[in-house]
Amino acid sequence: MRRRTAALALGTAATMVLTGCSSMSGSQADGTVTLNMVESLTNPARTDLIKGLIADFQKQNPKIKVNLISPPTEQADQKIQQMLQSGSGVDTLEVRDTTVGPWSNNGWIYDMKKDLTGWKGWEAMTENAVKASQDAEGKTYFVPYGFYGLSVFYRTDLIKEAGFSKPPASWDELLEQASAIHDPGKRKYGYAFRGGANAQGNATAIIEAYVADEIDPADGFKLKNGKTIFSAPEALDAMQTYLKLFKDASPKSSVSWGYPEMVEGFSNGSTAFLLQDPEVIATVSESKSIKKDQWSTAPLVAGPSGKTVQPLATAGWGVAKGSKHKKEAVELVEFLSEGEASTDFTKTNSLVPILKSAAEDPFYKTGPWSSYVTMTENPDTYLNVSQPRGVAWWAEWQQRADADIQKMVLGKTTPKELLAGWDTYWTEKRQQEN
Amino acid sequence: MPTASETTSTTQTAKTASAGASGNGGARPVRKVRPGRRKPEFTARRGFLITLFMAPAAIFVAVFTYYPMIAGSQMAFRHWNLTDLTDTSWVGLQNFRDVFADPAWGTVLSNTAIWVVGSIVPQLVIGFALALWLRRRFRFRGLYQALIFFPWAISGFLIGILFRWMFNSEFGVVSDLLQKVGLIDEPVAWLADPKTAMFAVVVANIWYGVTFFTIMILAALQSIPEELYEASALDGAGKVRTLFQITIPYIRVTLALTVLLRIIWIFNFPDLIFGMTGGGPNNETHIVTTWMIKITQQGDYGRASALGLIVVATLLVFAVFFLLATREKREVKP
Repeated sequence: MRRRTAALALGTAATMVLTGCSSMSGSQADGTVTLNMVESLTNPARTDLIKGLIADFQKQNPKIKVNLISPPTEQADQKIQQMLQSGSGVDTLEVRDTTVGPWSNNGWIYDMKKDLTGWKGWEAMTENAVKASQDAEGKTYFVPYGFYGLSVFYRTDLIKEAGFSKPPASWDELLEQASAIHDPGKRKYGYAFRGGANAQGNATAIIEAYVADEIDPADGFKLKNGKTIFSAPEALDAMQTYLKLFKDASPKSSVSWGYPEMVEGFSNGSTAFLLQDPEVIATVSESKSIKKDQWSTAPLVAGPSGKTVQPLATAGWGVAKGSKHKKEAVELVEFLSEGEASTDFTKTNSLVPILKSAAEDPFYKTGPWSSYVTMTENPDTYLNVSQPRGVAWWAEWQQRADADIQKMVLGKTTPKELLAGWDTYWTEKRQQEN
Repeated sequence: MPTASETTSTTQTAKTASAGASGNGGARPVRKVRPGRRKPEFTARRGFLITLFMAPAAIFVAVFTYYPMIAGSQMAFRHWNLTDLTDTSWVGLQNFRDVFADPAWGTVLSNTAIWVVGSIVPQLVIGFALALWLRRRFRFRGLYQALIFFPWAISGFLIGILFRWMFNSEFGVVSDLLQKVGLIDEPVAWLADPKTAMFAVVVANIWYGVTFFTIMILAALQSIPEELYEASALDGAGKVRTLFQITIPYIRVTLALTVLLRIIWIFNFPDLIFGMTGGGPNNETHIVTTWMIKITQQGDYGRASALGLIVVATLLVFAVFFLLATREKREVKP
């Protein structure tokens, strides 16, 4: 009797586990397919938005169910890696320009090129978006959902008080205006320098602006002659200007400033200039220290040639190679990348849009967003250059470059030594790659 | 001023009492055996039952603790880089050599020493003082206890972020207060200078860890019988002598174990530094465990595992030496 009870209990438990697992992913008897979708840059508001978009998708495709998995941002990419490594459990996923390299290299993500041939969504997309959806070999591992790009956030009132009639258009003008406003004694600072996490982003932006005429559009860290951008004499001018911007116009502690301090510095009214992504528009709009008429944005500042490079970062939706429902997973990617779903996503998340139609949208045409439209509409001045963010050594490079910039502003290395080190690093990495 | 014989008498009283206290390495507690109830015999069936009941826990620990540990350890001897898992060949001790050859390794080691010693000593002293103070009866004692224990309930990473803002020279409260009381003339960029940054993270850690010492020492203090203090007062012992000849000897086992635990925890506590400085500026506030996270972020799990094994080995050796060194002192001679 006791044995029979035990066997029954075991059988029930096993059935529950198995049925539980099968409802998580896969197909059911009535032909309904369940997709597992994982996001990476998770935040509660964004998760709600994605859930809403998924509900719309399910309405249009009653035979497909989507199960959204939202790991916390800090661990998300590592969690996704573990899931991909196990070979199952993921169908659609968020792929970033920084993760696409290693993940495709390890054979974890699916090339959607064939599935997306003839897809009508391509025609509605901006040139940047179409370009970003293909890697160097023309493979499509993800379709971008939007871009993070730099623009200059500036204080309209402070530049006026300092005697300037318009925002800076070049790095030299930025240095001039920021230095004129900078007065640490009165707790007024010129420029929100990025010395902490991801410091390399702004430092390479100024170098790219200075070498804009010679840059290779296919690789933002390379010149047309094949050498690295760090080897150009203009790169040294750029770094010297950048160091001056720190010394003459930035708060001392910005050696360690990352995203939160930079945004706080501008939002609390103490700092006049900030180079940041469009998502900061929403944060600054809620500031109680500066009013709407006290700030605006301007297109990214240019180098001596009057041109600059938009260092666009991107992410998008892709499909796992291990997925058993690739067709349905690709359908979900298509749905998220076109029409209202895409517009809703970029607007709510403050992203530079992927659709051409956004240029006519009053939301993007006016106010702080207009500088992004200006940049997209003038590709001869604001050059579209692919950044090598997908290389396998990108995370290593970021950490190395961040530490080097701190070394330079602390006076422990010179701009010349820093650039020589970066030149050697990229030259060697490229040689190893070939 | 007590005489020599009085001192001896006080010390002996302490030793006798300490020997009698349970859990302090003294006399064995006498177990009462109820009449008519004897210890059941150990049979094969009983052994089987015990094994059966223990099996779920043992399997759980084996699968979720030891298996991942062993599986992870083998990465230390392989080329295991997440950016390219097509080559995971065995590389012998190369990952260990890479760890030691890193130019930052010296700074990482010395920072770890500063981090551990600089945090543990003030934590112990302040924690002890707070525990002595909280032992006395006074109004709102419960409230003060709750307030003092509160930091222990907050995550280390969050504390790191809070202190990062407090030590911000432009917007932070620390520079502002110091300026207002006239101790500094202009804001100090605490986290921008490697030396002051290390000082700042240690200060934050002291604030965080004092609580644990207070909790542990207060619990131990409450086990000291009041009669001992009464006897020492009768013998004419002053406050300092009572502290060193009754209080400390009585709770030294707790003290030794708390110090051991805290040293291991502080060594293994990257959260606060990670939240506060991220190891910067210029990698100069990294300790061994934040350095390990940094390597993991680069995707080099092989080198990170090698570093992890070095940490485990160091702490094991330390724990054995520490326990051996304090063993004699902890054993109460008859």
